[in-house]
Amino acid sequence: MSLAGTEIKRAKLRFGLLTGAVSLLVFLVLLLSTLSGALIGALVGALQGLRTDGLVYADFARDNIAASRMEPSVVDAVAAVPGVANAAAVGTFTTAADIAGQQVDVQVFGFEPDGPGSPSGLSDGRLPSAPGEAAVDGGDVAIGDTITLDPAGTDLTVVGLLRGAQFNAIPTMYVDLDTYVEAAAATNPGLPFVPINAVAFAVQPDADVATVASAITSDVPGVKGYTRDDAVALIPGIESITQSFGILVGLTFIIGIVVIGFFFLILTVQKLKPFTLLRAIGTGTGRLAATVAIQITIVVWLASAIALGLTLLAVRGLNTGIPVQLDPQLILTTILAVWIFSLLAGLLSIRRIARIDPASAVGAR
Amino acid sequence: MNDPIDATSPVPDGPGPAPSADAPTRPGALLHVDHVSKVYGSGHTAVTALDDATMAVDQGEFVALLGPSGSGKTTLISIIGGLLSATSGTVRIGDVDVTALSRRELTRFRAERVGFVFQSANLVPFLTARENLLYVATLVKTPKKAAQQRADQLLEELGLADRAKNLPEQLSGGERQRVAIGRALMNDPDLVLVDEPTAALDTALGRQVVQLLRREIKDRGKTGIMVTHDLRMVEYTDRVFEILDGHLTHVEEPSALKH
Ligand SMILES: Nc1ncnc2c1ncn2[C@@H]1O[C@H](COP(=O)(O)OP(=O)(O)OP(=O)(O)O)[C@@H](O)[C@H]1O
Ligand SMILES: [Mg+2]
Repeated sequence: MSLAGTEIKRAKLRFGLLTGAVSLLVFLVLLLSTLSGALIGALVGALQGLRTDGLVYADFARDNIAASRMEPSVVDAVAAVPGVANAAAVGTFTTAADIAGQQVDVQVFGFEPDGPGSPSGLSDGRLPSAPGEAAVDGGDVAIGDTITLDPAGTDLTVVGLLRGAQFNAIPTMYVDLDTYVEAAAATNPGLPFVPINAVAFAVQPDADVATVASAITSDVPGVKGYTRDDAVALIPGIESITQSFGILVGLTFIIGIVVIGFFFLILTVQKLKPFTLLRAIGTGTGRLAATVAIQITIVVWLASAIALGLTLLAVRGLNTGIPVQLDPQLILTTILAVWIFSLLAGLLSIRRIARIDPASAVGAR
Repeated sequence: MNDPIDATSPVPDGPGPAPSADAPTRPGALLHVDHVSKVYGSGHTAVTALDDATMAVDQGEFVALLGPSGSGKTTLISIIGGLLSATSGTVRIGDVDVTALSRRELTRFRAERVGFVFQSANLVPFLTARENLLYVATLVKTPKKAAQQRADQLLEELGLADRAKNLPEQLSGGERQRVAIGRALMNDPDLVLVDEPTAALDTALGRQVVQLLRREIKDRGKTGIMVTHDLRMVEYTDRVFEILDGHLTHVEEPSALKH
C-alpha cells in the first residue's frame, strides 16, 4: 500500500488545488519561453537561417544590417581575401506589400541563388530560381499566390514557404538579386545605383570563420566581417530582449519552485503527528522521505501535462502576429527542470522529517 | 544515540522500596529490564524520570504499570519499546539487547517485535481502519494476501468488521482504540505495549477495551504491558508493577490493590 497515493486519494481537494496552482505556473513558464523563442526567432530568424559562414557590413553600420550600405563591387574584394571560398551580395529593405488585398509591411531579402546567403527552413515548395519568384515566411500566403510590392509595383509569385526565416517579426520574402535590385530601384527612384547591405561569404574547408572575418575587416577598406552567430547576437536590441525574457522566465520558474517547496513543507508540518506515529511504529525516515518525493513527482507531472495542454491551446488561440511553434526539446527541458528543482525544494520537508523524534509519539504530550 | 551501558553495575543495596526482587528469579522471562535509569536534560534542569528500574515479565503475561501522573510510566515503556534510549541499564527482549541497537535497528525492531497502543493520536488519519492495519504489514513485507486475511480477522475479532472502510475521524473513541489494538497485533509482535488505552474513554467503554485487549493478548500468547493510573483496570491483568517518582516497585496480585 502506498502512503503517497492513498493520501492524495483522501485529500483530492488539497492536492487538486496544489496541482492547479503548479500547472498555472508551469504554463506561464512554458508560454513565456515559447513566445520569447518565437519572438526572437521572428526578429533574427532570417540571419540565423542564412546559409553562410559569415557576413560583411559597412563599418559605419554599427553591426546593423539595415543601416549598412555598400557598393556591389565589395563582393569581389571580399572574395579575394585569403580563406574566403565564395562571396555573394545580400540586399534587404522594408516596404509595403499587397497580400490578397491587404496592405502589410514586409521585409524583402535579395540573394544570389548560386552563392552563399540563401535562406534555410523551407517547409513547402522550393527556393526562387527565376526573376519574379519568392519564398515567403509569414503573411498567410500559399504557393501560387501573387504578392505585389508597394510602391515598386513588382509582382512576386510565391514558389516556396519558409519557417523560422522572418526578420523584424514581419512577413519576410526572399527573391533573387535581380528582382531585388529592380524592386529596390523602383522604391527609391533617383538612386545612382542600388547598394547592397551585406556580403555573405563561405570560407574554405580548413579556414576558421572568425579569423577570416577579421581578415576581411582589415583587408577590405570600409567594411567589417562577422561570423554569422556574431552578426545575429549583435543585432541591435536582441541582447536586451533575450535578457528580459530570460529574467521573466527565470523568475516565474523560481517562484514556481518556491511555491512547491513551501507547499510541501506546510503539508509536512501539518502531518508531523501522523509522521511521528509512523516513525514510532517502525517506519524508516527513508520511506517517509520517499512519500514526499513521490507526491512531488505526481503533482509536478500532472501539473505539467495540464500546463502543456494550456500552452497548446494558448499558442493556437492567441493571435501574436508572429509564427509560434512549440519546441518539444524546450518543453521537455523545462518540465524536467521543474521536476528536479521541486525535488530539491522537497528536501526542506525531508530535513524536517529526519528531525522527527519517534519518542514524542507516546503519551498524551 | 545509545547511552553507554554499564552491564557490570552492581545490584543496589541502598534504601528505598525493594526493587523487583523477582527479576533474577525469572531466568526464562521474555522481558528483562535491568537497573534502567533515565535522566532528561542535564545540569540544573535535569529530571530523573526513572531511577534504577528492574523488572521481568514472562512470555504470555499481561501486566499493569500503575502510577500517578509524572511518575515515569511512559518513560519506562518507551525505553522498553525502543523509542527512547536509557541513560543507564539494559533492556532485553528474548535474546535482543534493545539498549544496544542502532537507530536504524531500533526502527526495524519496533516494526517487527513491538506493538504499540498509544494514549492518543494512535491512527494515521488518512488511512481507513483496515489500511491502518495493512500499512504495518508492509513494514515487515508480509505478503499482501496474508496481510489482508490477518487484518480482516483482527477487525472481526475486535468487532470492527463493518467499520473497516471508515477513516479514523469517522470512528468513535472506543472504536479508534480497538483499531489501534488491532494495529499493535498486526505484525505478530513479541511484546504489546499499551499506554493509557482508556484515558479518553468512559468507564464502561474503558473496561470493554481492556477486556478485549486481555483476550487478544492471552489468546495469542503475547506478552503485554499496560500503563494506567486507573485502579479499576488492573483486575484484568496478571501482575501489577507500581511506579512512584521514578521508583519501580512490584505488587504480586492485582487483588492486593483493592483496598
Ligand atoms: N522529554 C522530556 N524532557 C524532560 N522531562 C520529561 C520529558 N518527558 C518526561 N519528562 C518528565 O519525566 C517525568 C516522567 O514522565 P512520564 O511521561 O514518564 O510520566 P507518566 O507517568 O507517563 O505520566 P502521565 O501519567 O501524566 O502520562 C515527568 O516528571 C516528566 O515531566
Ligand atoms: Mg504517560
